[in-house]
Amino acid sequence: MRLREAWRARVPLPTSVVLIVAGVYLALKLVRPVIPGSVILLYMGFVIAGAVIHVTLDDGRIRRFADFFIDASARDPGAIRAQRWALLAVIPLLLGWWVYDALRPSYAPPVEIFQRHPTVGEEVLKRIVVPAWAAEPKAWRPEDVATGKRLYEANCAVCHGEKLDGQGLAAEAFRYPIRPANFTDAGTIAQLTLPYVYWRLNVGGLQNQFNSAMPKWVATADEPDASSLHTNDLAPDEAWRVILYLYRATGFEPRTSEAPAAEHAKH
Amino acid sequence: MLAAALLAAGNAFAQDSVAGADYAAVAGIDSRLAVWIAAQLHLMFAAFVLAVPMFALFIEYLGWRAERTDRVEARRYDWLAHEMASLLPVAYSLTAITGALLGFLLFAAYPKVMRHLTGVFGPTFVVYPLFFIAETLCLYFWYYGWRRWQGDAKWFHIVLGLLLNIFGTIVMFIADAWATYMMTPAGVNESGALVRLYDAVWNPGWMPLNVHRLVANVTFGALLCSAYAAYRLLLSDNARERALYDWMGYTGNLIALFTMLFLPFAGYYFGFELFAFSATYGVTLMGGVLSWLFIIQAIVIAVLFVGAAYYSWLGLLRIPGSEAQQRWSPVFNVLLIAGFAVWATPHTMAASIEESTGGFHPVLGALGVMAPKMIAVTLVLVVLYSSYLLYRRAGRVPVVAWASTGTRVEWGLVGLMALTIASLGVYGYFAPAHIRIKTSIWQIYVLIGGIAVTFALDQALLRGARTIAAVRWGTMPRRGQYVLVLLAAVIVWLMGLMGYARSGARLNWHVFGILEDTSAEAGLPSLGEAALVITLITAVFFALLGVAFAIAGLAHGTDERTLAEISPEAGLRGDTR
Ligand code: HEC
Repeated sequence: MRLREAWRARVPLPTSVVLIVAGVYLALKLVRPVIPGSVILLYMGFVIAGAVIHVTLDDGRIRRFADFFIDASARDPGAIRAQRWALLAVIPLLLGWWVYDALRPSYAPPVEIFQRHPTVGEEVLKRIVVPAWAAEPKAWRPEDVATGKRLYEANCAVCHGEKLDGQGLAAEAFRYPIRPANFTDAGTIAQLTLPYVYWRLNVGGLQNQFNSAMPKWVATADEPDASSLHTNDLAPDEAWRVILYLYRATGFEPRTSEAPAAEHAKH
Repeated sequence: MLAAALLAAGNAFAQDSVAGADYAAVAGIDSRLAVWIAAQLHLMFAAFVLAVPMFALFIEYLGWRAERTDRVEARRYDWLAHEMASLLPVAYSLTAITGALLGFLLFAAYPKVMRHLTGVFGPTFVVYPLFFIAETLCLYFWYYGWRRWQGDAKWFHIVLGLLLNIFGTIVMFIADAWATYMMTPAGVNESGALVRLYDAVWNPGWMPLNVHRLVANVTFGALLCSAYAAYRLLLSDNARERALYDWMGYTGNLIALFTMLFLPFAGYYFGFELFAFSATYGVTLMGGVLSWLFIIQAIVIAVLFVGAAYYSWLGLLRIPGSEAQQRWSPVFNVLLIAGFAVWATPHTMAASIEESTGGFHPVLGALGVMAPKMIAVTLVLVVLYSSYLLYRRAGRVPVVAWASTGTRVEWGLVGLMALTIASLGVYGYFAPAHIRIKTSIWQIYVLIGGIAVTFALDQALLRGARTIAAVRWGTMPRRGQYVLVLLAAVIVWLMGLMGYARSGARLNWHVFGILEDTSAEAGLPSLGEAALVITLITAVFFALLGVAFAIAGLAHGTDERTLAEISPEAGLRGDTR
């Protein structure tokens, strides 16, 4: 109790609030790799709301907070007066910096909100026919999966990794806006149906609005960009075999409409 | 109302449709935007007029039952029910007006869609207005006959209220059939011709949406009633009146919090059926274009809960001598903020090119998955429940002989519950996915079981407890009332957000997989644009609601004698904690 009184006498409520908010901010800034600004903003929103709630929990606190500025007196100890002036200077300066920072021109590309799975129309997926030999996981032939493994290691492993964990040799280079998928994570192929994964191989990402390094793998020869880099590398059957391998190697089952996985519900 | 307008508009446009126009521009406005705003506004007022009679009737019934034991309490409940119902007449007109507007816009701008829907749902378009009229009649007789059917005739009044609720629910169920048919169509063949009306109505999404809407409407209506109470309290200069409205706001908030606990389950049920219908929904909502809405939703829900908790902590200030309990509020505040920060941490993060670690942050990414979020959210519920336990204890002294041991055991159990939930979560974090799902279910069991046991213990502990300081209604700081208004604004915005998610998930389909949207405006707006429209809808809704509040406030004031009799100031005998 006595300690608390002593602390309060030296560090009035406004100072401790500012110290806590600034402390959390600094701590978040110090984490490496850096935490994206959007997330820091979110956290600081919570922290500031918490601080406002704390100060306004009862009228006594509000008074203590306000009196520090309003009820100033020349007889206050020097340390207190210094704090008062420091806060009165720091808060407007910070706000000013904030405005300046928001308005100054910047040449960085805008922040990307990347979609985990690009959205595709039902009509497109409906047209993709899963070959009979690939449709039923229980009936997948080991030789198809083995072919898939060979194709995967030759084509995909540089990015998606030998262990399918998204840690391929080239992965770090392709990290913006999103790194190659980690297939062992429950958030990727475990959430997807076979036609969707096939469609994903079919459209890639680099060549279109989906904006990722994922190449386009399958295309019919009459498509306009069929001659560009990386297209037509896989025949449709080969693509299906790679897909079988993705599921066999990670132990996931393709999602079917009848049995939605529960895991996806929380990102 | 809606259907009547629809039919009228339908006739007017029947001539046009000979020409076979699929879309028509109405007065040069963006039809999609106009329909969006009209539909959402109509839905909000409809939700309100459906929900308020539900709990108002329940409260009226409580009052009726109390008649034999405590006349003052009975009259106070009756006052509360009537006060909540007093918002209904105006809200009802607004429901009808927005509904007519929506109907007109739909028939005018989307002839193709409405031709299709009329083809499938024709008979329901006829039945719908009949039920609506029945609902209207019940409402007006129920509300305006309040004074008349008191005493011996009260049973009749309650029956009227019951009928009102039944008709209202039927009206919503019919409209839900249209809305869900567009998402999860059934009962038609590939080309969209009707095969069986029954299946079209009872399509896979119908029951889940019915359930979800019923529960959410009650939360929504209760929070709006609280906001009304806050509005009346802030304007009142009469201490007795303030006491009553404080009590009303508190009750509304309690109803909202209680029903809000069921919403996630209703949401999962609805989502589950959607995913079962088409995996495209799963991808679109949880990983695709609309997935960011759920991150925003998580943040908004956090705001709702933190706000409600803050209101309950401020509520302690109305109980003199609750300093011992108040001391915990700052601690709970820290726990709650920390818990919600984890809960709202996104798994895939928006980052600039310098910050990017590839969408997933190696440190924070660990917080973004299911296990830590489950720990956070269940512990947050434990904290909220603890606040409630303290609130019940404030100003009361237990008289049972085992009081101090009992209290220690009670809080020991609460601590144990928190510890078990955390340990289960940590275990689940390192376990494979199929076990993790089980541990998260166990966390819920522990939470529910723990609450049941400790609450029973608390009841026993407080049996016959001496009240040293009753709740002094009306003495809560005014900022508490602004919190109630804020909560109402937040729930309205949230409802707009989720309404957009539900409707947007169909992407480029009017009727999913059957009738494609080939209009020029078929694309989804960007996140920012959607947020702006939702905010605009919220603002318009509140402007209209403000009118409803003002009119309801004009129409009647409680007279001084009644106030003196029923105001909680006059001694709240049945402490409703
Ligand atoms: C140049 C690097 C690169 C190569 C090579 C590559 N990918 Fe990808 N892939 C990515 C990136 C980056 C993503 C994540 C962004 C996205 O979903 O577009 C991705 C995503 C995917 C996804 C989508 C996962 C989801 O959750 O939506 C699948 C499936 C996939 N890759 C399969 C393959 C297969 C199969 C191969 C080999 C035939 C392959 N990729 C080769 C970079 C690559």
